[in-house]
Amino acid sequence: MPQLGESIAEATVINLLVREGDTVLTGQDLMEVETNKATMNVASPCPGLVRELLVKLNESYPVGSILGHLESSADDANRLGLKGEAVSQVPVFEPGAASETAVDVAKDGSSRVEPTVPSLPVPAGAGGAGYMSPAMKARMLKYGLSASDLAGLPGSGAAGRVTIRDFEQFMARVEQQQTIPASTMRVAVADAMRRSWTRPIATVAMPVCFDPLLAHRKQCAVKPGPALYALRALAIALTEDTSPAGRLIGNRIIHPASIDVGFAVEVREGVLVPVIRKANETPISGLVGRYDELIRLAHQLRLPADATGGGIATVTNFGTFGLTWATPIPLPEQTIVLGMGAARRVPGWDEASGRFVPVMEANITLSFDHRVLDGGAAGRLLARVAQLLTSPEQL
Amino acid sequence: MSITYLEAIREAQARALAEDDRVFIYGQDVGAFGGAFKATKNLAREFPGRVIDSPISEDAMLGLAVGAAIGGMRPIIEVQFADFSTVGFNQMVNQAGTHYWRTGMPCPITLRLPCGGTSGSGPFHSQSMEAIYAHYPGLVVMTPATVADAYHMLLDAVKIDDPVVFCEHKLLYYHLKGDLGSGDRLAVGKARIARVGRDLSIVTYGAMVHEATKAAEELAGEGIEAEVVDLRTVKPLDTDCIIASVARTGRLLCVGEAYPWGGVTAEVVARVAGEGFNFLDAPPMRLNAKDTPVPYHPDLWAVHRPSARSIADSARRLVQM
Repeated sequence: MPQLGESIAEATVINLLVREGDTVLTGQDLMEVETNKATMNVASPCPGLVRELLVKLNESYPVGSILGHLESSADDANRLGLKGEAVSQVPVFEPGAASETAVDVAKDGSSRVEPTVPSLPVPAGAGGAGYMSPAMKARMLKYGLSASDLAGLPGSGAAGRVTIRDFEQFMARVEQQQTIPASTMRVAVADAMRRSWTRPIATVAMPVCFDPLLAHRKQCAVKPGPALYALRALAIALTEDTSPAGRLIGNRIIHPASIDVGFAVEVREGVLVPVIRKANETPISGLVGRYDELIRLAHQLRLPADATGGGIATVTNFGTFGLTWATPIPLPEQTIVLGMGAARRVPGWDEASGRFVPVMEANITLSFDHRVLDGGAAGRLLARVAQLLTSPEQL
Repeated sequence: MSITYLEAIREAQARALAEDDRVFIYGQDVGAFGGAFKATKNLAREFPGRVIDSPISEDAMLGLAVGAAIGGMRPIIEVQFADFSTVGFNQMVNQAGTHYWRTGMPCPITLRLPCGGTSGSGPFHSQSMEAIYAHYPGLVVMTPATVADAYHMLLDAVKIDDPVVFCEHKLLYYHLKGDLGSGDRLAVGKARIARVGRDLSIVTYGAMVHEATKAAEELAGEGIEAEVVDLRTVKPLDTDCIIASVARTGRLLCVGEAYPWGGVTAEVVARVAGEGFNFLDAPPMRLNAKDTPVPYHPDLWAVHRPSARSIADSARRLVQM
């Protein structure tokens, strides 16, 4: 039974398309199988003669079990990475080394499933680091590791858990590779993102016409960065309704006390998020100086304490990397992050003239904690931000 | 010189009698007859008047021992089978065990209990009593597994001022041979690593040390290296040694021949869970006799108690967790 897709552990044979004694070609469908996701066909890996079929209709077989034997040429068997034996019987889709295990699996259906696709890095049935024994937890604490660090490690314990032995062998392999210490900044970002990812994060997006914003910016003596427009637009939208920036703690929504909005600044080996306090109270013209100063201080890694932390939302201009679309992750203590893509000149339909005209357009995105917001509420907030961005004089 | 476990007990008593005039032996048929198992053979002749037959009353025997100990003597009491020591239980736990704590005056009794099962001995002649004595404060409970320990620990038992329950295993009496050892002896209350291993710790005592070692040899053939910890005394319990072993292996299998409810294995598991939680890579496991009276039929007896086979099976399950 081949690996039919990620997270599929078994499939039910619902239709046999060949009989024993039939000659088949490469890619010819041998049987129809049904998984919990879709109905698919199992195809022959090479030309040959169907020697025997070991399956029963409407029975379920784990990935890796032997479905039957195909008599093929030694060349084909070698090409498929099977041991070239005198009588070349190719277990359908089965690498030779795992065949014994696979047969056992087929018998009782309870043993571990071995990988059927040689390149699949983790056995299909591996539970990984999901359950951790007290000793594992203590050891990881000692090394300063988290479960995500062991994501690529299949366990050999019960239900695929990672045992101390697995862990020690893994660490020994790590020691043999060239390693460089991660910077404090990198470790801090990793920690924040991992904590944030414990929540269900979703993203909504919409395109915005940037022509008014760019025109407004051209008139300014000191030109505000595009992210500052987005920051102001978000601050105003949140002033009208603070609930989208609320945090869910237990069964209560904590509303923000002050519209303090941060913006992401890429610095060496990481990201810093300076915060502009009460961003709703000062128009953009009055914020440009502070904004530019905070970027400069961030690059020097000298942000003042009053501009660090405590934000209720963040703006990130991933357009500076030429990206038009992204799904940023909100900071762990925040519910939303507003993203801004690169503006491009695209054809826009002009209703008045009845023809396409060139417009500058960029995507804006809102990634949010789906526990607090739904698509509708996130979409309404994003639409309000878009509306404000097309009326930059209000910012 | 290789002698049996039983001979070691006899030799230790002979030496104790020779070294200290305050020592005497008291028990049913310990005199001219030499004891039910011949653990006092010829001692009455060698030490006239100091190896004394008692009436058939464990209560009276232990009552006399308490009085003698308070009066400055160092009695060794032999009960024919550990099972019958329950008749004198009150004297041991209420009188002897509390005496020092009530009066400041020690009560140095050595109570020798022929313990544990042998084939065909049935419910009254097979029981393991270490757990119920260990439950009471004021008592030391020894469970020697080797010839050398049987000899030296019995001498320790006579010397220390606390009342000692000395659980000697009947299955080892004639079958286990060894020498008395030389060099430094472990102090009372110290456990011993009987076999070194990295995959699991089998913590046990008495005759089960030998079953566990046999199991460990079988497991070694499968690539599983079991460490065997011989507790030597179950009270005091050498928690440090146990936890150090579990820290090395991450897995605990505690084996005892006594009944499963409560008891020494439960105490070991509780201590490891409480004080060594962060060393455990798998749930602590224990293996005991079945929770029924000890069966008479040899076939039933063989599966009632833990054996090398059932220990190895438990170990296999534990390392797969």
